[in-house]
Amino acid sequence: MKKTKSFSYAKYGYLFSIPFVVAYLIFSLYPTINTVVLGFTDAKGMAGLTNWHFLPFEDLFKNFTTVLNAPTFRKSLVNTMILWILNFIPQISLALLLTAWFTSKRNELRGQGFFKVVFYMPNIITAASIAILFKALFAYPVGPVNSLLTNLGLTDEAINFTTMVWPTRGIIAFIQFWMWYGNTMIVLVSGVLGINPDLYEAAELDGATSSQMFWKITMPNLKTILLYTLITSMIGGLNMYDIPKLFNDGNPANSTMTTNVFIYKQAFSGSYLYARAAAASVIMFIIIAILSVLVFMMFQDSDKKMERAAKRAAKRAAKKEVG
Amino acid sequence: MAKKSIGIRRTPGQKAFRVFAYVLCIFLACLSLFPFIIMLVNATRDTPSIQSNPISFLFGTNLKRNFEILTSKDMFSPWVGLKNSLIISVCATALTVYFSTLTAYALVAYEWKLKGPFFALILAVMMIPATVTSIGFYQFMYRIKWTNNLLPLILPAIAAPGTVFFMRQFMIPALPMEIVQSARVDGASEFRTFNQIVLPIMKPAMATQAIFAFVASWNNLFIPQILLTKKEVYTMPIMVSLLNGDIYKVEYGAIYLGILLTVLPIFVIYFALSKYIIAGVALGGVKE
Amino acid sequence: MKKILALVLAAVMVFGMMSVTAMADSKITVNLWSFTDEIPGMMTKFLEAHPELAEKFEVNTTIIATTDGAYQPALDAALANGEVDLYAAEAAFVLKYAQGDASEYAAPYADLGIDVDAALAEANIAQYTVDIGTRPSDNALVALGYQATGGVFIYRRSIAQDVWGTDDPAVVAEKIGAGSGSWDAFFAAAEELKAKGYAIVSGDGDIWHAVENSSATGWIVDDALNIDPSREAFLDLSKKLVDNGYHHDTTDWQEGWFADMKKDGGVLGFYGPAWLINYTLAPNAGEGDNSSAGDWACCAPNIGFFWGGTWLLAGKNVVGTEKAEFVRDFINWVTLDATEDGLQYKWANGTLNGEGGTKDCVASGTVMAKSNGELEFLGGQNMFDAFVPANAYANGKNLTQYDETINTAWRDAVRQYAHGQVSRDEAIENFKTTVSDTLGLDVG
Repeated sequence: MKKTKSFSYAKYGYLFSIPFVVAYLIFSLYPTINTVVLGFTDAKGMAGLTNWHFLPFEDLFKNFTTVLNAPTFRKSLVNTMILWILNFIPQISLALLLTAWFTSKRNELRGQGFFKVVFYMPNIITAASIAILFKALFAYPVGPVNSLLTNLGLTDEAINFTTMVWPTRGIIAFIQFWMWYGNTMIVLVSGVLGINPDLYEAAELDGATSSQMFWKITMPNLKTILLYTLITSMIGGLNMYDIPKLFNDGNPANSTMTTNVFIYKQAFSGSYLYARAAAASVIMFIIIAILSVLVFMMFQDSDKKMERAAKRAAKRAAKKEVG
Repeated sequence: MAKKSIGIRRTPGQKAFRVFAYVLCIFLACLSLFPFIIMLVNATRDTPSIQSNPISFLFGTNLKRNFEILTSKDMFSPWVGLKNSLIISVCATALTVYFSTLTAYALVAYEWKLKGPFFALILAVMMIPATVTSIGFYQFMYRIKWTNNLLPLILPAIAAPGTVFFMRQFMIPALPMEIVQSARVDGASEFRTFNQIVLPIMKPAMATQAIFAFVASWNNLFIPQILLTKKEVYTMPIMVSLLNGDIYKVEYGAIYLGILLTVLPIFVIYFALSKYIIAGVALGGVKE
Repeated sequence: MKKILALVLAAVMVFGMMSVTAMADSKITVNLWSFTDEIPGMMTKFLEAHPELAEKFEVNTTIIATTDGAYQPALDAALANGEVDLYAAEAAFVLKYAQGDASEYAAPYADLGIDVDAALAEANIAQYTVDIGTRPSDNALVALGYQATGGVFIYRRSIAQDVWGTDDPAVVAEKIGAGSGSWDAFFAAAEELKAKGYAIVSGDGDIWHAVENSSATGWIVDDALNIDPSREAFLDLSKKLVDNGYHHDTTDWQEGWFADMKKDGGVLGFYGPAWLINYTLAPNAGEGDNSSAGDWACCAPNIGFFWGGTWLLAGKNVVGTEKAEFVRDFINWVTLDATEDGLQYKWANGTLNGEGGTKDCVASGTVMAKSNGELEFLGGQNMFDAFVPANAYANGKNLTQYDETINTAWRDAVRQYAHGQVSRDEAIENFKTTVSDTLGLDVG
């Protein structure tokens, strides 16, 4: 009986996926395949996108080896990882902390509606405006941060931040953190709002404390959303482009050049190395895919367990209502 | 609504926690508001004073003049820009949210053979770096003569892999299949079940993603900029970027005013939707 | 929900149909592409002055800002499809369109029916703009500008008075070694200024354009990276400025740089073209008693250079069509017409949009000779006296289409070395790696 039921509804799975698939096929597939194909060609120069040839068979992966052997690409890969880790760890920690505070039933903070709205606000300004603002903040030899530091007596001479590797990385990671923690927080909060309220009610009746409820109910039920956050943040982080490009053009000494900035520069900064840029894009795709699979595997077990737990809980709740 | 527990006595530890929490929140709020204050202040200042002192908290007297500079530019007509931006962003957001929820529902509620591969595909699509593919997209649109047309900025929104992923992750714990089953028993069609039972449960997720989608669509510059080259179809961000075009003589005061005007509509949408994300209690779940 | 959905879909369809409406018009359409409204504004004036052309032709203007590099991919696609009749290119990327990858799409001015040699001679067009606009493959002129952006040394009269006892341009020119092609006199002057507490320039960006232009060869020779000795020397010049405190170590277009333009800026001067005076120095000179306006003057620089500018090109598909004449007349009016009716006369005297507009240097020496370049900002000095020779000294032969990217990388490498972050060899090595990896050029 169960079998026939799930079989008869299967067609709706296909049916409801059609709009997505059609839109994807029309608008995204062609450019994507185009990119992959270009990676195996000699496309270069302004007319490179229309006039190219496949590389000879023995050299088919030449663009890939060139990119992988380029010191700048390797460096940009390291930079990307550094910048992502520097911004993601504080970002997810703060977002989780705020989520715990803002969804706690016991310890209601006043004005949390205001805070939730305000914390997201940096995310609605364009990266270009943000980059200009921070450039001005850290201007040398006179600028707000420098005058603050000298007034506080922390330094005697103005600091030329953008010529120094780690300060520039720090600033960029901070901007990313600051722009996105509110976004992550909202995602997590909405995840908590989706948790069946009966679970909390039951726990409350059992006399559970705030932190017990957070760790025993919120966190397990939030796992699927946490997985989403981790995956999207990783994809976003490894594709980081705007801020490193606009803040200091990947400098000093290419220390903030991310892989996407490098891809962009190959493709559009004079030589139009489309084939190599495409190869670099494919390499990045493979790296991201491998990392994503790893993260998924890490979450797999708990994911399944949690799904079952949620269903059980829902069943209980449904019973309660009926009864 | 959960009843407010009145008269809970707070331990010193809890008090300290609250002080710490408020201090941190207020500090973060100041950081968040900072760029908006700068933007507001700079919109009232003249270009030379912005250039020699970009960060200031003192309002200037140049607001009217900045507005005149802004509107004297042939290409800046706020109403046209607002109209185009709204059409694109509202349509794109609606399509993204609705179809992503529908696709996620297909992934969560039904058992079908290609479900696993399809979900993997959605994730894979998310991972493709967009830097190079955007040029391919432009060339394609150019070939089918869809430049200066709003559709290429709206229709692709139907396939938003990130949003589908979120909706799926949200739906797994939030949507009890029992409700769907009972709707089937009542004789509701699958599509109707989705629209009338699943969508309301998904409200917090939809509101969240609607905000993100709207902001992304509203702020999108690169693709609109190369696709929309006629004054009648310019969006707000395109108009602001054109103010920046003359690299020798940049009218910063007017640009800040332009950016401010661009941001305002986002606020309206954001505050309209924020009730779903600031609600103190869960909206989802089975209660009806 | 359904209602909303229905509304949305209806709206989508309506706008979809609206936007593809065909234009039913008997006029001939000329497609003009630009990255600002400057040339489209000129076109408006041109059509006003020629109502008979306005009746026959209609101009379809496309403006895309250079922000995020959006202008070029769109223009490239349109050029490849032969759908561009007139287009503008900025100094940063004009080489690509006049001499580089995209030069094949340009129509030689001669093919449009312009007697190039005679017109150039009559208008006395600055040679560097001609060099830039000449396509090497067939030696044909394909692009010309209307501005001339040759640079001079723009200095503070009061500081010159204080240090050398005179504000005479001839004396200051001699002090910085005008026409010497070297930086020796410049540094001697810097030492004198330092003794009195002044800086000679604001930052190393100020001398970069002069250094760049002074080199005999460009960044690329025979498809390989080439570091000309005079450009390599920028490393040492910049370090010398930092180590001796000869400048304020500012970055161009940032707060500190603008502050140095004020009365108490303490900086002798800035290297720059006429637009720097009008668009940058004058608005940032300060107000009231703290204003440096009127305290400035121009003198010949130690090394000739230019900075910026816009060039105008015609699409090759125009040749032989009925648009050719219109395109020719417009190009001629903008770039070569040296009469008082021509664009450049109005541009030089600031009268294109009525009296009292901003005066600017133009490409035609003939026009400047009969125009009035007196500026109150320069204490009544006629700026054209300094700029006409400056435009002649500028060098348009050492540029490549890769310059913008390579310059950015080079200036970062120099900044790293000058501030002691890396050694001289490391700086050059890092620079070479960047160029090799991002541009695919042989770096030797």
